[in-house]
Amino acid sequence: MASYLPLILRNILRNRRRTGFTMASVAVSICLVGVLFALTRALFFGGEATPGQAKRVVVHHKIALTQDLPAVYEQTIQKIPGVRAVTSLQWFGGTYKDPGDPKNRFAQFAIEPKTLFEVYPEFHISQSQREAFVSQKTACVASRALAEKLGWKPGERITLVGGMLRATLELTLAGIFDPPPSDASPVLYFNRDYLRDSLLPGDPRRDAVQQFYVETDNKDAVSEINRQIDDAFAESSYPTKSEPEEAFMLSFVSFLGNLKLFLAAICGAVTFTLLLITTNMLSMSVRERTREVGILKTLGFSDGEILGMVVGEASLIAVAGGLVGCILAGGLCTAIASAMRSAPGFVSVVRGLSFSPLVAALTVCLALLIGFVSSIAPGLYAARTSIVQTLQYNG
Amino acid sequence: MDIVIETRKLSKDYMRDENPVAALKNVDLQVAGGEFLALMGPSGSGKSTLLHLIAAMDRPTSGEVLVLEQDLRSLNNRQLARWRNAHIGFVFQAFNLIPVLTALENVMLPLKLTGLDAKEQLEHARTGLQLVGLGDRLNHFPRQLSGGQEQRVAIARAIVTDPDFILADEPTGNLDAASANDVLTILAALNNEQGKTILLVTHDPHAAHYAKTTRYLEKGVLLPEGQAPQDWMAAPPPMPTSSATSAVTE
Amino acid sequence: MTVPFSYNIRNLVVRKTTTLMTAMGIALSVAILVASLALVNGLRTVFANTANPLQLLVLRKGSHAELGSTVPTEDFAIVRSKPGIAADRSGQPLTSQELVNVANLPSLDNPKGMNITVRGLSPVGIEMRKVRLVAGRWFQPGQREVVVGEAVAHRYPSARIAHRIRFGKGDWKIVGVMDGGQSALNSEIWGDFNQISAEYNQQDSSSSVLLRATDPVSLDALKHSIEDDPRLNASTITESDYYHGQTASGAPLEFLGILVSVIMAIGSAFATTNIMYAAVARRAKEIGTLKTLGFSDGSILLSFLSESVLLAALAGVLGCLIALPLNWVTTGVGSMVSFSEIAFRFHVSIAALFSGIIFAVVLGAVGGALPARAAAKKEILSALREA
Repeated sequence: MASYLPLILRNILRNRRRTGFTMASVAVSICLVGVLFALTRALFFGGEATPGQAKRVVVHHKIALTQDLPAVYEQTIQKIPGVRAVTSLQWFGGTYKDPGDPKNRFAQFAIEPKTLFEVYPEFHISQSQREAFVSQKTACVASRALAEKLGWKPGERITLVGGMLRATLELTLAGIFDPPPSDASPVLYFNRDYLRDSLLPGDPRRDAVQQFYVETDNKDAVSEINRQIDDAFAESSYPTKSEPEEAFMLSFVSFLGNLKLFLAAICGAVTFTLLLITTNMLSMSVRERTREVGILKTLGFSDGEILGMVVGEASLIAVAGGLVGCILAGGLCTAIASAMRSAPGFVSVVRGLSFSPLVAALTVCLALLIGFVSSIAPGLYAARTSIVQTLQYNG
Repeated sequence: MDIVIETRKLSKDYMRDENPVAALKNVDLQVAGGEFLALMGPSGSGKSTLLHLIAAMDRPTSGEVLVLEQDLRSLNNRQLARWRNAHIGFVFQAFNLIPVLTALENVMLPLKLTGLDAKEQLEHARTGLQLVGLGDRLNHFPRQLSGGQEQRVAIARAIVTDPDFILADEPTGNLDAASANDVLTILAALNNEQGKTILLVTHDPHAAHYAKTTRYLEKGVLLPEGQAPQDWMAAPPPMPTSSATSAVTE
Repeated sequence: MTVPFSYNIRNLVVRKTTTLMTAMGIALSVAILVASLALVNGLRTVFANTANPLQLLVLRKGSHAELGSTVPTEDFAIVRSKPGIAADRSGQPLTSQELVNVANLPSLDNPKGMNITVRGLSPVGIEMRKVRLVAGRWFQPGQREVVVGEAVAHRYPSARIAHRIRFGKGDWKIVGVMDGGQSALNSEIWGDFNQISAEYNQQDSSSSVLLRATDPVSLDALKHSIEDDPRLNASTITESDYYHGQTASGAPLEFLGILVSVIMAIGSAFATTNIMYAAVARRAKEIGTLKTLGFSDGSILLSFLSESVLLAALAGVLGCLIALPLNWVTTGVGSMVSFSEIAFRFHVSIAALFSGIIFAVVLGAVGGALPARAAAKKEILSALREA
């Protein structure tokens, strides 16, 4: 087959415009499929869990995220073997300055200052700032994105007026931390105890948290730890659900509706269309060269060899187009990921959109498959036409 | 007899694989109204090129083409197209009918460029087809017609605008003898009965019989009247008989 | 002065397979575009239907959603006594204290569980909305009973009438199903205000207050009156604006859909270019003949261009037909405001169909432009000589 490569190549280059446009068509469609594959992977298969994420577990109320859990659960969780650090998370949702300005809206959580950075070792913060955060009750830390957005420097006084929780907090920015580049959301963390003190003694929400973030020793123990946590509270009035962090993030994807179906349908449609288009191109091209096929057969080429050449030509065009499509897809994925870096909420998982080697390989395989399948009909036609028929062909 | 077509020092060069070829060299030709002229010569002699230049399908490298005293060089492409539609009826060797249109529609095609309304177009086309004996094949597609019938449709198409000239480029080249005769008879009739000026390019001496005069081209040069190329002298064509135009269609 | 249109139509028909294959590509791009537009339209319709233009939502100052807002009970009394509020039949002001939270139940689309809005309200709240009971009865005060919207009953297998569902601290019995028309209310679970507030430990406050003004002028006056009142710590938003803002929940899907259809369109345009070039090559002799007959370069260009546009337009119609059945499909999308699912029906509007056809026509024109130009520029003699 390889010896026919020069012949195949010359055929491909014979009508450069048609080959070019066919390849372009393939490239664009493959690019689309590639991006969809990457999206599916990011949304449904966790994309790339960072090593830090792999060891972290999120514990929340079994029924809904918005339901409260007692703060005392922390002590029980701490005692489970394999748990290195636990921090509770209480969502505050206060108003900062004028809430009409979108940049003044950001996530605020009350946490345990001591354990925050143990649970999130990837958060980088200077030692002195970390210590300041731990030692001052009214201290808070902000992510770099938030600090930059609002022009905060350490020492900044930040007032948050509570909504659902009736408290007004006067905080001082003790430090700014750098989360890993894939997570650029603006967020503020402050001290649980300060919130607790600010709420009236009779307020039942004093000891209520929404989540616990647990750092484990190693990722293989995660499912066992999850089971133990949930078992511990299964019978209480506040049952829990513990899951690895990536799974937790992904559960928000269901918010986008029946996305799986949507994506699958589109992938199917695109692949189908591409198949049609490529088969069409090839058929036209083969039909045009019917005469030539006849001559080749007269010279002694067998039906099988003719078929092989047609398939070879199609595969080459498809793979070439596929490779270009992969490059385009990679670029598009990076573009989408960075465009989504500061997107709120659930769409954040798209931040992790990457065109990994696995997805690239899958995409190229699809291209090859399409080239192959689309060449069968025209190839068989060319192989089976009798010599006499081809010589009578008048275009 | 007034001169309706005149070429002066008409020359055409073109490039073939980076080699310049002189297809026509300084051709001076005069055609009178009502003439039926056959242009003959071996392949490559430039006869088709001359025809194309007169039909305004190409532009000369140098020299003039005056048709009905109109200098074709002064017309731009758009004007040439219009002019062609009004004055020329062209018949090709390969018929060149539009495959997806019926015989009637093919004949109506040139009329689309005139100001006639649909009804009149239909009338003219029908008349044209009847004239060439295909009145019963109006709604046939080219693939349903024989070669001879196709060429007759092509002739109907060529005359439907009532052009001043009919230019035919090897019209019988793809036809069998019987069909060829039919076609040539029609052309002769158009010349005799309707006074159409006809230029016929052919390499077939038999076809040339149907014309009234014959001129020869050799290697791009128009030979003087009465003169034929050297190798043609070997077997002089039989003299045209007066009854050529009344050759009956079988 | 133009080449007859039948020339183009018949050429498309004669090459049926090629025409159909290329048309499919364009049709699918159009279908996806129309589907995306239908999705957003459907959402918009649902939200438009939910809102009453004379009704105003009172939330805690700074809150943008009922879910994060608290309005103390004392404030309710203050709001209630303001002038300009419409009254019910017995002369009571149409103001409703409501508590909103979220329940999580397994749905058909999401067996792992999906959020549903739970709303505690009193009879006046029911009266203020366009709902009617289609099965069972309304919940009774003091009972752990709820009424579910029709979409909830259809999409959540455990939420059938006479069954029990679990949220908050325990079980609740479903005693009725309500129909709110094509609105967001169909995706909610309603219960007695006091019961629900107790469940979520919010006995002395509510999430929001809904009130109805007598007329647009009073609506505006009330808005200012409430926001400027120093005793209250409230902000207001009209129901229309509140729900209108939620249509952004469909934005990611709409974005994805349009992106996909545009990319597919580019691919289809390339395919169109390819087949038109092939057509021009195949019909070179015809082009030469037409030009000989006197047709201008411009008319040749127009002819081939209209051929690709016609092909694309037909494909566009096909695409619209493919997308049309979506009009009867119901699905759900999570609202980022209420943190729960809103069920809605795709709404394939005339505007969407129109956009689809225009999209296709543009595609056809763009794809067919270069080949049409090539056809127009062919020299007569070389065209006639092409095999």
